[in-house]
Amino acid sequence: MNSQIKEIHQQLVSKQITCTALVQEKLDLLKQNTHNTVNSLLEDSALEAAAKVDAKIANGEEIGLLEGIPFGIKDVYMVQGTYTTASSDLLKKYKSAYTATAIQKLLDAGAIPLVKENCDSFGHGSSSENTIFGAVKNAVDETLVSGGSSGGSAVNVAKDYTVFSIGGDTGGSIRQPAGYNNIYGLKPTYGRISRYGIMAYASSTDCVGPLAKSIEDIRIVLNVMSGKDGKDQTTYASDEILENAITSVDGVKTVGYFKNFIESEAIDPTVKADFLAAIEKIKAKGIEVKELDFFKSDTLVSTYYTLAMAETASNLSRLDGTNYGNRIEDKNLKETYAVTRSENFSEETKRRVVGGNQVLSQGFSDAIYLKGLALRDQISENFEKDFEEVDIILSPVTPAAPPVIGDSLKDPLAMYLSDEYTVGFSLGQLPTLTVPQGTVTGLQITAAKRNEEQVLKFANFLKDTL
Amino acid sequence: MSKIMTVDILSSIKGAKPSESVNQLFDVIRNAHPTNNNAANNVNINAVSVSDLREDVVVESGEIEREIIKENFPNEKDGYLVVSKVIED
Repeated sequence: MNSQIKEIHQQLVSKQITCTALVQEKLDLLKQNTHNTVNSLLEDSALEAAAKVDAKIANGEEIGLLEGIPFGIKDVYMVQGTYTTASSDLLKKYKSAYTATAIQKLLDAGAIPLVKENCDSFGHGSSSENTIFGAVKNAVDETLVSGGSSGGSAVNVAKDYTVFSIGGDTGGSIRQPAGYNNIYGLKPTYGRISRYGIMAYASSTDCVGPLAKSIEDIRIVLNVMSGKDGKDQTTYASDEILENAITSVDGVKTVGYFKNFIESEAIDPTVKADFLAAIEKIKAKGIEVKELDFFKSDTLVSTYYTLAMAETASNLSRLDGTNYGNRIEDKNLKETYAVTRSENFSEETKRRVVGGNQVLSQGFSDAIYLKGLALRDQISENFEKDFEEVDIILSPVTPAAPPVIGDSLKDPLAMYLSDEYTVGFSLGQLPTLTVPQGTVTGLQITAAKRNEEQVLKFANFLKDTL
Repeated sequence: MSKIMTVDILSSIKGAKPSESVNQLFDVIRNAHPTNNNAANNVNINAVSVSDLREDVVVESGEIEREIIKENFPNEKDGYLVVSKVIED
């Protein structure tokens, strides 16, 4: 199976290339790039790690599959000793004191982190324009947004600046930028990968996941990062997904899609036509396709944002400049908190924190927040019923092509509504993969909870079918 | 004693006001009719069972971790964190 990781591993083992030369080449590409993907480079540690890999190979020692493979990390993950800014003014000089579990597992496997990647501040955005490091430019067309919030990660992979990158997905933040930059991006089942060490946005839907150029690389990285972790008690133990388990489409008999997604007023006619053409090709392969009923898009988006804002208001309340962060002193403690937060949070972050405190306050919580929780339960129940009827749900990633840089910031409501196809799967905590096929921004493949194997299997089938 | 607090106070953000765009999202929920208004959370069960809780042990942080935590102090004097003046009201 096509795999950039395996290809580079082979080149290292056969001494066609050195790890130092490989890492240096990628660092140079990152330094010269004009897409604003880099918040900070980890140059010294990367070259030091590469030299160790070269020494092992020179000594005739075996190296693991991920050993010496350069990768990128969205700048919301703790990596001890590195700046972890969340692309914000508040944390622009904050250094991680410890390392996130998912990243530590990759380090233990020998992968080499090169870069902390640009993203929307605290994950608040769908375009990677809400950042102090400059809007991330799309890998294909620099006038367009990269998508978000893991925009820097998606562009780095698409441009081959990193072999794979680790993003974070709360409402679509891996899948949508993957679609906008024509690569693969996986949001695993909630709890498959530990959240310990990711800067919390909305803890009930935050997921760690890989972005890469091949299905096989997604599988390899997913296997390494998965597993139960005492530091995140929502994690569960999962089995390794074997390569030969995802090569045949056996087991996928029925595919469903949401009728109202395709009949939505917001969908671009080309995206609709391309999606329906993909459905016809799947049918032609003998797979049964069913139309499914689902919640209206505005209900999905509103439920997601109600809960996400409530959770982010709570999670970000710790950011007051007392123990860390860019404190701005004022006449007393309360004023210091308020000035620090007012001056250091972006407009979008403030909008979400205020929205969250609104729905959690007396008088609003019953009418909005608790109702949002009830709706989420109904959405999840709906998915459970769907997966009794179908093996896979297929959807577009976005209703239209990426917007031009500058447009999303002018109209926050339009930006929220553009997440209409991704947020439902976050609320359902389901494994969902973006594949760069089918429509201009790709397709999403979703399976029942904990069934990443089925998702990857169907992705391989689509690769040969579309 | 109940006290009405505005969103700028609740959020510790000066001059903060509710956003019209966000209010439009909330209106959708306000007008929705869930079949069950009480979230039972019987679908997304993520909590660990009481029989599977992690051991309640103290894990000492390493020297590097402690050093970085101090390095992150916004205001430091003689190795101590300096905080702003607290006014009780």
